[in-house]
Amino acid sequence: MIPEQLRYTAEHEWVEERDANVVRIGITDFAQSALGDVVYVQLPEAGTQVRAGDVVGEVESTKSVSDVYAPLTGKILACNPELSESPELVNSDPYAAGWMFDIEVEDAGALTALLDAGAYAKLTE
Amino acid sequence: MSAAPELTTPPLTSPLHERHLALGAKFAEFAGWDMPLQFPSGVLAEHQAVRTECGAFDVSHLGKVWVTGEGAAAFVNRCLANDLDRIGAGGAQYTLCLDESGGVVDDLIAYRFSDDQVFLIPNAANTAEVVRRLTEAAPEGVEVRNVHHGLAVIAVQGPESPRILEYLGLPHDHDYMTFREHLVDHHNVIVCRSGYTGETGYELVVPNEAAMDLWDGILVAGAPPCGLGARDTLRLEMGYPLHGQDLSLDITPVQARLNWAIGWDKPGFWGKAALEAERAEGPKRRLWGLEATGKGVPRAHMNVMDGDAVVGETTSGTHAPTLKKGVALALLDAAYKPGAALELDVRGRRLPVRVVKPPFTEATPK
Repeated sequence: MIPEQLRYTAEHEWVEERDANVVRIGITDFAQSALGDVVYVQLPEAGTQVRAGDVVGEVESTKSVSDVYAPLTGKILACNPELSESPELVNSDPYAAGWMFDIEVEDAGALTALLDAGAYAKLTE
Repeated sequence: MSAAPELTTPPLTSPLHERHLALGAKFAEFAGWDMPLQFPSGVLAEHQAVRTECGAFDVSHLGKVWVTGEGAAAFVNRCLANDLDRIGAGGAQYTLCLDESGGVVDDLIAYRFSDDQVFLIPNAANTAEVVRRLTEAAPEGVEVRNVHHGLAVIAVQGPESPRILEYLGLPHDHDYMTFREHLVDHHNVIVCRSGYTGETGYELVVPNEAAMDLWDGILVAGAPPCGLGARDTLRLEMGYPLHGQDLSLDITPVQARLNWAIGWDKPGFWGKAALEAERAEGPKRRLWGLEATGKGVPRAHMNVMDGDAVVGETTSGTHAPTLKKGVALALLDAAYKPGAALELDVRGRRLPVRVVKPPFTEATPK
């Protein structure tokens, strides 16, 4: 399941353009399936300045841990408060209720440099 | 010159492999065996099924060894650490194979069929070594036979498991850690009341050629298939050690607090002198449980911190699905006892933990 309207990274994160300069980030269906049951998500504090490629958090499943990256440069606006009590939302609804954090990006143009759905689909073949 | 072609051995598979493929299992390698890690329902659902109802595990990678001949039980009792004379014919026992320094070569289950016939279930990775040591030590007239590849092992675990066996017409009323033999279509099935989940359950040893029918029957009777991922979270909630992590050649049973599995009063067993010396002196470190009091998931090989001092290391760790918190087993300096508040170094972050005596979760009555 790879929604057409989203952008993607090689680290299996999705990026959704929300408002001018605000993007929402989560991990893809492919990623949650590979991880297995997610039991803990550690996310950055709102207000943190991040650069594209920074490790900003972790997703822990019953069997392993993976890093969460900032796909774009900017400031963390908010994190999904539901994930603290219900990390399983990452498995059950990775593209909506299982979102991870919002970034106010420095350069909205950088979004177009990320993978589109077709390119991401090729990556996961 | 050219590099030699890389010789790879294809992984071994269970006689139930086709079934697991058809059910959409995810596989992982365990000691050279390609075994189901989880089925599509996932580790948490499988764990929950075993705690509340039941589940079926394929553990055919486990070793199977016959020790037979006059005095076979007495021979095994001179080698392995637990006292096999604590049980009679039809009894099964958790025991240890130690080296001369008291390190654990393997932890295994011994089935006492008679004075002249003992069946062993070692861990997959250690079967060859246990067989080698026993074969080397066996007196004239005692035969050690590795039957690793001829038998499947299916574990049915959980409070509803007696009902599953009853439905299949298999013996199910016998006591914990005893076994019965039963003919199914002319195949002898060993039904042992045992397991590694903390729940009421059975381990069924069945010839390969009869394994698929038995597995199918168990699933039809209502036990969902479960993978080794759930087996690991289930055993860890009970604080049961896993060889290769919580037990090893470098970790003695005195350190792992397995004194109950040692036949101290026996005249001898492998490693006895070293173990007695360590017991008299007091071990330098002990295996305890750690329960996270903050959010985070402990894993194996994390440092346990008291302030800035490293006072131990985790040997296993996971998110405990029943408790919904992180738990670990850790070797701690002997000064630390249950109740102590310590921290884990989780990739540079500190996770507060409390030292506890496992089990982390109450087991159902056996």
